Formats: sequence, structure tokens, C-alpha cells
Amino acid sequence: MRICNFCSTFAAAFDQTTMSNLLEIHNLHASIGGKEILKGVDLTIREGEVHAIMGPNGAGKSTLSAVLTGNPAYEVTEGTVLLHGKDLLSMEPEIRAREGVFLSFQYPVEIPGVSMVNFMRTAVNEKRAYEGKPALSAKYFLALMREKNKLVEMADKLNNRSVNEGFSGGEKKKNEIFQMAMLEPCLSILDETDSGLDIDALRIVAEGVNRLKTPQNASIVITHYQRLLDYIVPDFVHVLADGKIVKTGDKTLALELEKTGYDFLNE
Amino acid sequence: MNNLTIHSGETFEQVFLNEPSVDLHIVQEAGSHVKIHVLNWRADGSNDAQATNRIAVEQQGEGCSTEIYALAYLNGQQQVTTETRVTHAVGGGTSDQLIKFVLDEESKGRFVGELKIEQDAQKVEAHQTNRNILLSETAEMRTQPQLEIYADDVKATHGASTGQLDDTALFYMQQRGIGAQKARQLLVGAFIKDVLVTIGEDNNALRERLLNAVDGIIE
Ligand SMILES: Nc1ncnc2c1ncn2[C@@H]1O[C@H](COP(=O)(O)OP(=O)(O)O)[C@@H](O)[C@H]1O
Ligand SMILES: [Mg+2]
Repeated sequence: MRICNFCSTFAAAFDQTTMSNLLEIHNLHASIGGKEILKGVDLTIREGEVHAIMGPNGAGKSTLSAVLTGNPAYEVTEGTVLLHGKDLLSMEPEIRAREGVFLSFQYPVEIPGVSMVNFMRTAVNEKRAYEGKPALSAKYFLALMREKNKLVEMADKLNNRSVNEGFSGGEKKKNEIFQMAMLEPCLSILDETDSGLDIDALRIVAEGVNRLKTPQNASIVITHYQRLLDYIVPDFVHVLADGKIVKTGDKTLALELEKTGYDFLNE
Repeated sequence: MNNLTIHSGETFEQVFLNEPSVDLHIVQEAGSHVKIHVLNWRADGSNDAQATNRIAVEQQGEGCSTEIYALAYLNGQQQVTTETRVTHAVGGGTSDQLIKFVLDEESKGRFVGELKIEQDAQKVEAHQTNRNILLSETAEMRTQPQLEIYADDVKATHGASTGQLDDTALFYMQQRGIGAQKARQLLVGAFIKDVLVTIGEDNNALRERLLNAVDGIIE
């Protein structure tokens, strides 16, 4: 087990039967500013799977990704989430990240004055320290960055720029997948990584994601459009509406939704 | 008070580090350059250290440049007041001011920034920026910009903001596995270094020493 062997080792110690369940969400309710957004989400994701989540604007898709990653703006009011059998919701955001949960943000954040190199080196080495591994040498680290830059055709001159500052829309999204490649998560959540991308950038981002796929990791792909799912083929497609998963199918469901839209929700 | 005249074509450059009081009155002759850094560094001061910085610069000759950078990084009950008064008496000059405060615990900061462009001082370019971060709920910042612009053909900007560390940036870093405390260090460090990097070549060693010290002193 190459990716995420730390969390997997732990899980194995708990129970062999749940070992392939990477993520288990039970009856998850969450609110922001006192307003309930998630109203009982159930979802199980096993190693190696790709799950697409679609649904109308405002359904709670970004809220789900925020809650899974521990965004303090949201309050979980009910339910449980297990990552490799461990209680995810009790972990600080940085611990969840080090346990292998990665979010490609719908709106990546600019951090003036903090260079990509410094940011990434801190992130990678804090994760390594958590896993009991020594820090990477500066030289090896830079080589690793360049290698992963290539994966998403990202200019390596961006490594010396402040995080996301002055990046174009496409560069920001590539940068998210670049960071995913550096951190090798076991669960990656892509929140509308495709929106605003032209077809070239979309292909590059999708190929990057596909190349990072292993039998041990899994992805949640949140999208409005079928076209991303032509590149990243999902094992399951879920429709999230009004804070609940109202429909689940295979990849053909995405095609169907593309044709019919979400009108069935009102029937 | 220190009265100085910077003669035509000369350059005056100085870094004041942790002076309890800086009181300068500078007159610039044509084509002269002034670059001043005033740094109040918490780590080197007592818990209740106080400092007052008064810097008045008057451009009396054409084609002068004035740069004023002030950075106060305070904790405990430390207090720093920084007052700048930049006067463009004649045209064709530039002035740039960058004033930053990082205030933790019960520290207090105050900035008074007077910028005056007199009637005959055309083609002046003057910028004044004041940015402040409050790291605790009990820290206090007061800012009073005072702009008096009497000439028409000038470019003058000023901006002042006081706020907390950017929550969305903190969460973004945590989501990448960076601990909350380390994330705060990176953000505060970036805010401070932005001023330190402007220290000129004459003070290379000091600039590098301060830049290297930044990460170590942010809690
Ligand atoms: N800060 C907030 N305060 C109150 N409601 C919010 C806040 N942020 C988002 N919402 C609401 O939460 C709902 C779900 O938003 P979101 O999860 O972003 O939806 P999606 O990603 O599916 O488009 C929306 O109705 C939105 O208006
Ligand atoms: Mg969204």
C-alpha cells in the first residue's frame, strides 16, 4: 500500500471488514449561521472508487466538502463520519489533511507574501512529521515540485510566486491538482474544479487526477457538467438536492441529468 | 528634535530600530532622496515599552523622492505612536509611505499621517498606505490620515485598513496540513517581511538579520 499507508495501517488494526471502506458518512446534518444546509447525508466510499456529486446550485455540495474538511464556519449538528474507521469530525482541519483528506477548493485562496515553495514545503514536511518521517531536503523537494508541475503542465516559475496571487483562473485550478499530487491524499474532493476551465485546461486537470488514481485512494468529484465526467469516469453518480442525496446511479445518470436537468426533483 | 537638510542630489537613508523616540525634521533640496525605516520590534522591548515616532519631511526643491516605512510589532502593553508629515512644497516629487502595525495582546498602536501638497506643487505623486493586523480582541489601533491637497495636477492615493488575519487563508493552509499556529506565523511573517524587504543595500546585514529573526519571534 503506497498511498496513505499511515491511515490504512491504523484502520487494519481496527477491523479487517471495514478496511476497504475509506469514508463512511451517516446521517450528516450541518448548518451555517443557524441555517440547516445538510439534512441527513449518507454516503459510503470504498478504496479505488470515484464518486460524482451533482445537483442544483445551493444544494449543499460545497457545504459537504467544507464539513468533511473541518471548515470552522460550519456546525455539524448530527451524524458521524469515519475515515478508515476513525472519527473524522473530531479532528482539527490540519489533522484531517495529514490523514489524507484533500480539497480542491471551488475558490482557491490567494496568500500574498507566502511563496508556493515555502507553502508546499511546510505542508509536505508537516505531514511527514505527523507520519514520523524526516523532512525532505531542499534539493529533493524542489525536484519533486518540478516533477509534479509537469503533471498539470504548470509553469515552474509559479513556484516562486505567492500562493495563487495573480494566477489566472486556469492556473489556480491546476495549482490545486498540483498540490494534490504533492500531498498524495487518500481522499480527494474536487469541488467544481472544472468550472471556468477551457477544454484544454479541463483535459490537463482531468488527466492529472486520473494519473494520481490508485487502487487505495478515492475521489469525490463535485460538478455541474457531464463533460468532466467524460474524462474522469465515475463509479457512482449521486444527486444532492436540498441537503440530501436523493438519487444514486452509475455514470449513465450523469448523461441523463445532462438531458433532463433537475426537473424530476419537483415532481 | 533633529533638524536635517538633505542637499541637492544627496541621499539620506537610515533605519531606526527600537528607538524609544524618533523625532526628525528633514528639509529636502532639489533632486535629493530620503529613505527612512522605523521599526519597533516587540521581542526587544519590555512588556510595557512605549515609543513615539515623529517624522516630518518637506520637499522644498523639485524632483525629490521620499520613502517612509514604519513597522511596529507589539505585544503585552506596548504602545507605539507614529506620526508622519510629508509636505510637497514644490512640484515634480514623489513620496511613498507604508505604515504597518501588528498588535497582539493588549498593545496599542496609533498612526497619524499628514500629507500636504501645496498649490504650486504640480506633477507630484504621493502614496500613503496604512495596514494593521489585530491578533487579539484587546489590541487597539487608531488611524488618522490627514490629506491636504491644493494642487490639481497630482496623483495622490491613501488607504488604511485594520483587520484580523484572513480566516479563509488560514483554513486553506490548514487544509493542506499546516498547523494552525504555523499558518498564523506564515501570514504574519509575510505581512512583516513585506516591509523589511524594502530596507536598502546600505543596511544589507541588518535586513537579513531581521528577516531571519521574523519566523523565530512570531508565536
Ligand atoms: N455564510 C452563509 N450563511 C448562510 N447561508 C449560507 C452561507 N454560505 C452558504 N449558504 C447557503 O448554503 C446553501 C448551500 O450552499 P453551497 O453548499 O455552497 O451549495 P452548492 O455548492 O451546492 O452550490 C445555499 O443556499 C447558500 O445560500
Ligand atoms: Mg458549490
